[in-house]
Amino acid sequence: MHIIDIDFFHLASGYLLLLLPLGIILWLKVPLLNQTLIAILRMSVQLVFVGFYLQFIFDLNNHWLTSAWIIVMILVADFSIVRGCQLRLRKVATPLFLALAVGTAIPLLYFVVFLLRGENALSAQYLIPLSGLILGNCLRADIIGLRTFYSDLKKYEKRFESTLAQGANLQEALRPFIRDACEAALTPTIAATATIGLVALPGVMTGVILGGGDPMVAIKYQIAIMIAILTGTAITVVLAMHLTVRKNFSAGGVLHKDTFTAAKTGKSATR
Amino acid sequence: MNKLALEIEHLSLNLEGQQILAGFNLCLPQGDKITLTGRSGCGKSTLLRCILGFIPPDTGSVKILGQQLTGQSVWELRTRMAYVAQEPELSSGTVQANLAEVFAFHNNRHLRKNLDRVPQLLEHLLLPHTILQKETSALSGGEKQRIAIMVALLLEREILLLDEVTSALDQRAKDAVLAILSRLEHISILAIGHEQDWSAFADHVVDMSEPQGDTTCTLST
Repeated sequence: MHIIDIDFFHLASGYLLLLLPLGIILWLKVPLLNQTLIAILRMSVQLVFVGFYLQFIFDLNNHWLTSAWIIVMILVADFSIVRGCQLRLRKVATPLFLALAVGTAIPLLYFVVFLLRGENALSAQYLIPLSGLILGNCLRADIIGLRTFYSDLKKYEKRFESTLAQGANLQEALRPFIRDACEAALTPTIAATATIGLVALPGVMTGVILGGGDPMVAIKYQIAIMIAILTGTAITVVLAMHLTVRKNFSAGGVLHKDTFTAAKTGKSATR
Repeated sequence: MNKLALEIEHLSLNLEGQQILAGFNLCLPQGDKITLTGRSGCGKSTLLRCILGFIPPDTGSVKILGQQLTGQSVWELRTRMAYVAQEPELSSGTVQANLAEVFAFHNNRHLRKNLDRVPQLLEHLLLPHTILQKETSALSGGEKQRIAIMVALLLEREILLLDEVTSALDQRAKDAVLAILSRLEHISILAIGHEQDWSAFADHVVDMSEPQGDTTCTLST
């Protein structure tokens, strides 16, 4: 089966469909008009840029270039998470980068080395989309996880201090906060895993089918990617919390007040 | 002179631009009981949090059982003190589960046998045995205070830091708590309490609203 290409003229005219959501936003005066226009512009520019760039990388298929691109993807995810959680870049960026790198590498290697195995498995065509899928899900989970973890520590400061005062070490006192943050971060991924195929046809499966693949091949890819995503998100969320703790707590186990950026600190009360 | 459980010298602390403690001194001899009084906001609760290492002072020093309080020593020192807040924070779950959690900490595991004393302590604190099965979210303020006091007693620490721990109790329950605390001869207690009962209970009363002299240890009886 051959994939049907979309020519640029028809794709451009497809933007007319956006008049519907924009019309709804204007009609209901939803205060999202600017964000929506910026989001559409960013999406278009980013995807066109990535399309050209990926074509270039796929054609070259150089391991160093592929690795460099994956590192750039991790860095972008890293900064997005730090900004999304309103945490201080210098205190979180490096440990978070490590957490994302490990959390992406383990399921990615499982996928390409153990599942695909063929000689093309390590090619850019597989590595880049797969790491992007894993990383995208890790990003969402890490924002929820880290935000829940640090804001709960601030919100329930007294409970945390009481636990330390009862003789708990730092890891013991942090455990309930890590548990709650993990629950918050992993619940969307687990819910998506449980309802996949029922609510929506997942992206990978759709991609393989549109690419002319057999539905059974598509399903196998989808199952493998769901396993990889669940594994990657669980690893990054737990590592992100454990690895960022060292720079954000004093020797005596007290959360530094400057862990949060100014906007966050202003909102929360110090007990 | 007795050995000192607490030795606080020239402690000063500013929080958000406000002077909370200014050159504060205090000595608590081992086995003695001190009640801290003073107007709201004079730094009583903050002082307890300083002693527990939760707020680093700007200047001055805190010695606990002869050991200087630092970021490193605080972990060991916290295992020699127990702290009860005015509004104790208990984890979700039953009271029994809360007790089990505290004694599952690595530093407290050797004290698990003390849980055998729970029925007796519940009686002394005028609490029913059925409270162990109650969810902590369903406890009243007074019940929470007494459960937190019970945990502090079961931990058998050398120093008790108590922050208005009877504020939610009726007179009978307050008397019961003070009777138990009075019997703790070898335990040093630094308590915040405004009522007459707490002044009568203590060996010394320190009014933190009053300016201190040049002495390093101020104890007024």
